[in-house]
Amino acid sequence: MAAIPTLLPSHEFREALRRRGGDTASRCFQCATCSGVCELAPDEAPFPRRLMLLAQWGQAERLAADPAVWLCHQCNDCTVRCPRDAKPGDVVQAIRALVIEKLAFPGFLGRLVGAARASWPLLVGLPIAFWVALLAATGHLAIPVALPQHWAYEQLVPHVLIYSVFFPAAGWALLAAWVSGRRFWGLLAAGGPPVSFFGGVVPAVSEIATHKRFASCDAARPRRFGHLTLLWGFVGAAVTSGLLIVGIYVQHLAMPLALTHPYKVLGNVSAVLLVIGATVLVANRLGDGRKAGAATAFDNYFLTVVALVIVTGVLSEVARLALTPEFALAVYVVHLGLVLCLFLTFPYSKFAHMLYRSLTMVHQLGGAEASRS
Amino acid sequence: MTAAPRPLLVVGGGIAGVTAALEAAEAGRDVVLVERDACIGGRVLRNHHYFPKLCPPTCGMEINTRRLERNRRVRVLTGARVTACREDGGGYEVTITHAPAYVTERCTACGACTPVCPAKVKDPFNLGMAEVPAIRLPHPHAWPKRFVLDRAACPDGCHACRDACTYEAIDLAAVERTETLAVGAVVLATGWDPYPLERLPELGGGRSPDVISNVQMERLAAPAGPTGGKILRPSDAQPPRRVAFVQCAGSRDVNHLAYCSAVCCLASLKQAIYVKEQLPDAEVTIYYIDRRAPGRNEEMLTRVAAMDGVRLVKGKVAKVEPNGAALALRLEDVDAGRIVRAEADLVVLATGMVPRSQDTSVFATVIDEDGFAVERPGLAVAGVAHRPEDVAASVRDATGAAARACIAAGRSA
Amino acid sequence: MERLGVFLCSGCGIGEALKLEGLTAIAEELGAAACRTHPCLCSPEGAAEVRAALDDGTVGGALVAACSARAKVEAFAFDPTRHAVERVSLREQVVWSHPAGDEDTQALAEDLLRMGYARLAKAGAAKPLAEAIERTVLVVGGGLAGLTAARTAADLGHPVVVVEKAAAAGGSLAALAEVVPAGPPYDTLHANPLPGLIAELTANDGVRIFTGSTVASITGQPGQFHVTLATPAGEVALTAGAIVQATGSRPYDATRLGHLGYGASPNVVTAAELDAMLAAGGLKRPSDGAVPRRIVFIQCAGSRDPDHLPYCSADCCSATLRQIATIHHSHPEVETAVVYRDIRTPGQLERFFLAVQQQPGSLFLRGEVASVSGNGRLEVALRDTALGGDAALEADLVVLALGLVPNSADGEAIRIHSDAVRRAEKGESETQREEARKVAAQYASHQGTEILHLDYRQGPDLPALRYGFPDSHFICFPYETRRTGIYAAGTVHAPMDAAAAAEDGAGAAMKAVQCIVAAERGEAVHPRAGDITVPDFFLQRCTQCKRCTEECPFGTLNEDEKGTPQLNALRCRRCGICMGACPERIISFPDYSVDAVAGMIKAMSVPEEVEEKPRILALMCENDALPALDAAATLRRGWNPWVRVIPIRCLGSTNIVWIADSLSRGIDGVILIGCKSGDDYQCHYVRGSQLAQTRLGNVQETLQRLALEPERIRVVELAHDEFARVPEVLDEFAATIEGLGPNPMKGF
Repeated sequence: MAAIPTLLPSHEFREALRRRGGDTASRCFQCATCSGVCELAPDEAPFPRRLMLLAQWGQAERLAADPAVWLCHQCNDCTVRCPRDAKPGDVVQAIRALVIEKLAFPGFLGRLVGAARASWPLLVGLPIAFWVALLAATGHLAIPVALPQHWAYEQLVPHVLIYSVFFPAAGWALLAAWVSGRRFWGLLAAGGPPVSFFGGVVPAVSEIATHKRFASCDAARPRRFGHLTLLWGFVGAAVTSGLLIVGIYVQHLAMPLALTHPYKVLGNVSAVLLVIGATVLVANRLGDGRKAGAATAFDNYFLTVVALVIVTGVLSEVARLALTPEFALAVYVVHLGLVLCLFLTFPYSKFAHMLYRSLTMVHQLGGAEASRS
Repeated sequence: MTAAPRPLLVVGGGIAGVTAALEAAEAGRDVVLVERDACIGGRVLRNHHYFPKLCPPTCGMEINTRRLERNRRVRVLTGARVTACREDGGGYEVTITHAPAYVTERCTACGACTPVCPAKVKDPFNLGMAEVPAIRLPHPHAWPKRFVLDRAACPDGCHACRDACTYEAIDLAAVERTETLAVGAVVLATGWDPYPLERLPELGGGRSPDVISNVQMERLAAPAGPTGGKILRPSDAQPPRRVAFVQCAGSRDVNHLAYCSAVCCLASLKQAIYVKEQLPDAEVTIYYIDRRAPGRNEEMLTRVAAMDGVRLVKGKVAKVEPNGAALALRLEDVDAGRIVRAEADLVVLATGMVPRSQDTSVFATVIDEDGFAVERPGLAVAGVAHRPEDVAASVRDATGAAARACIAAGRSA
Repeated sequence: MERLGVFLCSGCGIGEALKLEGLTAIAEELGAAACRTHPCLCSPEGAAEVRAALDDGTVGGALVAACSARAKVEAFAFDPTRHAVERVSLREQVVWSHPAGDEDTQALAEDLLRMGYARLAKAGAAKPLAEAIERTVLVVGGGLAGLTAARTAADLGHPVVVVEKAAAAGGSLAALAEVVPAGPPYDTLHANPLPGLIAELTANDGVRIFTGSTVASITGQPGQFHVTLATPAGEVALTAGAIVQATGSRPYDATRLGHLGYGASPNVVTAAELDAMLAAGGLKRPSDGAVPRRIVFIQCAGSRDPDHLPYCSADCCSATLRQIATIHHSHPEVETAVVYRDIRTPGQLERFFLAVQQQPGSLFLRGEVASVSGNGRLEVALRDTALGGDAALEADLVVLALGLVPNSADGEAIRIHSDAVRRAEKGESETQREEARKVAAQYASHQGTEILHLDYRQGPDLPALRYGFPDSHFICFPYETRRTGIYAAGTVHAPMDAAAAAEDGAGAAMKAVQCIVAAERGEAVHPRAGDITVPDFFLQRCTQCKRCTEECPFGTLNEDEKGTPQLNALRCRRCGICMGACPERIISFPDYSVDAVAGMIKAMSVPEEVEEKPRILALMCENDALPALDAAATLRRGWNPWVRVIPIRCLGSTNIVWIADSLSRGIDGVILIGCKSGDDYQCHYVRGSQLAQTRLGNVQETLQRLALEPERIRVVELAHDEFARVPEVLDEFAATIEGLGPNPMKGF
């Protein structure tokens, strides 16, 4: 028999929740309207009502282990209907931020990103400064004199330089994500029935690919479109990056690629998807406050970095084709800095929801898989 | 001995207003009671029974009307409204506008006019759930016992009722008239309106005839109601097998009414008894946030909770959708920690009470955030005009309000 | 009354349905001084004709044969000190409910006319009481409700005496700095109005406050209560016109809730103890004086529990919220958790609940507490009904939101006890004494609980309704007291919160003042407010049977040593129960008497057996059954034409002689229709139907001896809104009587 839980209220948690925009939890009187309207809530152990009570009581451990935190897609159907204006959507968003911070490896980075309201200049500025310094040190801050009319960025910043930064950065991010993911998986699995990880992966990926669950939310339909577009834009961009490595080192393609080259086409299509997705999401955020939910610094930080990565990426290409190399280089350096920022803060920013939500889905679907077999 | 104090003005002829008027009059004060409707009784007479005793409101109103008839100190003005008010020397000068008296005091309620009336209107006494002739007795217990005419419904040039009346009691050319009165103090007892069903579309309000309000349920159970007291589904006039009561439909909800309407839990418990008494096999479920049965009313909660075929489920209903002939409900059952998808044949929304602040504004009344009137010296407030409360509490504070108005009026003399 | 005039109305279809000449002929036959017919008697012209005849002395009393006595009341209201007026319901009881032109319909109308005439003949003019009336209002209990009552009565111009048992006025809320909001803004505590109220009353020369005092005795009646107070300075005698009992309530005995740890740990305290602690300015853990970091409030401690207090105490939720708001104001670092079953914050108090919830460190959990254990640091074990499963809370201090128990005494129970004690000593047989000892033991807890010390036959205090609250039994009339002139207010009246208690105090004061005004005018109070008739007791024929004194629901009648009733007319509510109880028929009202109804019964035509037309008498309560009959008629629902209806004030006023007279005259059946009896009784005179039932039970034996079937007499309970049922009841009874065949007494 499980030990009787002792509910110990936590002042600190309440304070942390308040900082993350979840202080409306205290308004909740447990009517359960939120769970009733939520189309994503499972029939057994539905949410968000339970999360609201755990948040009021500051039950950080139980929240960290609660898959419901990640099953919520923050459509805000609950917030729109909440009779107490307790904004469950915002509260769960704040809980996610706190869980990301709690599970972060190493912890101080979690806290640093968690404090994005204050730390964002550092988080964004440092990677950009790093690139400026690196390029200065390696003599790439100046435009080469003999730059052809159709130049490629490789002629400004050598690929080797890029890969020697991004491979370790990605490796680090993956390591940190792996550690956090392990912690999370352990919490999910603790005390529960056996779960087939691999059994869950395939259905989870197919769900994620279509954003099936997102479709059931009423209050924020445009968000699903934006989110799905953005996801596929990122997938396209990632695939393009991989193909380019092949193109450069295996196929020895000449840079810049023609606009008609399949790799280029894929890259540009991805860029278009990213622009559309980001525009929809930003517009949604700026729209009807109740449906969109509260904007927190943690949230804005992530959204802004993503948006700027996209903007600088697109601008880099435009600049290469139509503007001066000096300007193009400046944009490109900022772009590289932002991408590095995105890579390095992946496990600690809102970006980490990709990790936790995916794992939760795998756990949930793997559980279903395990119970079937 | 100084001059006799000016009369009190009581605005509203529901249970609170009638009580305030009578209590002051029986303490020896002159009172003018103004009621906008054609007869007194207001909301309570539209109830089938009172909780927790399950007794008919007409019984108490019988005593009150007899008190009014015996007491020459109360002047009852029905079909009248206060349309202007000005403070004067510690009292008020008020203008009262009388609706046109198409049917005069000569009416004997003989009933000769009704059968010849060609026009039909939605019956306001039965909350629009039945059709009645344009000229009629408002309801079997109407006081004053005088017919009313919905003049707007008359076909052009029709005077069939006037021709049928032997007592010259019908004046189709009657016009609105006003009078001015000097009163010493005012008791506001302007009561409430039910929160409109149409504002609750997510709970099926206005989207299915079988989603009704608690006030409509009272009419369905009442012998003088549209079904003669039979509880039937409006859509097909069949007795419902499954009845769901949705508590806090509008109340305790910042999107609708931020306050608790104070009576809906007990009203639903009472209505659950109506259903079980008529339809013993029916399944009744009451979905609630908190069961609010203060004081002795707790007995009724205990009694209903123990009834066979009645369940009380903690969880606010989130959605009601028409689903074929039935209605589908979705909510979290908090005790079970599980989403419930229930079906019902009849859904009763426990809609709340909205104060009639439109009737208090003429007195430049301060209202609170929720529209309830705030008392000030010389302007006492009774009943639901100042807070959501049940009949017993309304009567209690109508008595206190009468005292305060007497005190203020005494000073003004 | 002599020189009776009969005024017939031919309107509303009466003229078409009936042969009016037949009615006129009867009036002449009866010797009417005048008999006039008018096409619309209720019109100003018609009513003026009646008035003129009364005023110019043409007639001494008027029989208005038109519509129901409940219709057009104002048109036919004449000065009762000069004229008697009776109504015959030709419209509702005859033409609206029976076929026009029918022989039976005509016979019914003629009978009703005869009966009305007989009643009028026995009626007299009323002589109102004119007694010296004291205007002082006595308020027993100086808490919020009592002091509000005192201020209200004083402002209405009445001298006031307040008696408070404690050393200072103010009651349980006096020491609080701030209280639950009773008006906007609702999201914050408000300053306690009590200190201001006490100062105001202390400064008012018209208000005398006796602290440390109790009531020693009260004799007399409204307008003339003779009160003796026991004060620290000795006995004080005074007179009062009316009384407000606002003796408040006390917390339930926490030691009876063993599982909640009260007494086992000093750190488990009651809400009242916490209030005292906060008023003394310190939030301290009793065990060590440290400020508690975590406080757990347990709601419904004793309330809503069949083993303790089955009712909801109505105040504890808002009181707990108040305490939390107060604590967080001075100690923002303290965490509070409330364990509740349902939070009950009706009306705008929802806003107060929300405001308290939003204070940092303020937590709520839906759950059922299983136990409180530990000594220094406490553990509250509970079933968590919000998340499911068992859980525990740690606490430095546990506060029990105890339910409230009224500071009342059940006058009737005290009387039962003292009677039983007397019988146990002086009973005639050992069995009787044994039986009395059992009753005495059962009611022993009521011994010595007196508060008002009333010198009333029915006991020394207000009777309790349920759970010891001397509440009114009526939703519409919360001040409908069973002891005229004595009104309960505040938490002794019913469970309520502080705002409601204050409101209740004002209302009760209004009723007390009203009772004094009515006494000055010689008028009855609710429900027959304005009635100036007084019952007359012809004591020379009294046999001291004590039935009237025992059955009076209002304690109007005391007894002298011999058992002769002593009328306290100002306590009387004019129900006529004493009149119904009296076997000697010595009690009567000017407009309602055993004789008058007997005269009506005598006036009924009883057809010969060969006519095969049974005759049925229906005695109907005028408050519920008669209006239901009128409503049925309004809807043109007919009933059996053999039925003759006599409206009576209350079924309890039924004198058995009416039944005997009816049956001996050959009337075939008697049906009595009254209000609902039992726990949820509807009778404004408490036990009307029940008394009638008991009295009829006593005659059943006689019936059998006379070879009369018991089915010939029936008591039916019927509610005001059961207009559809009245005709059915009458028709069904008529069918039963027809089945039984004619009354064998016919023709004797």
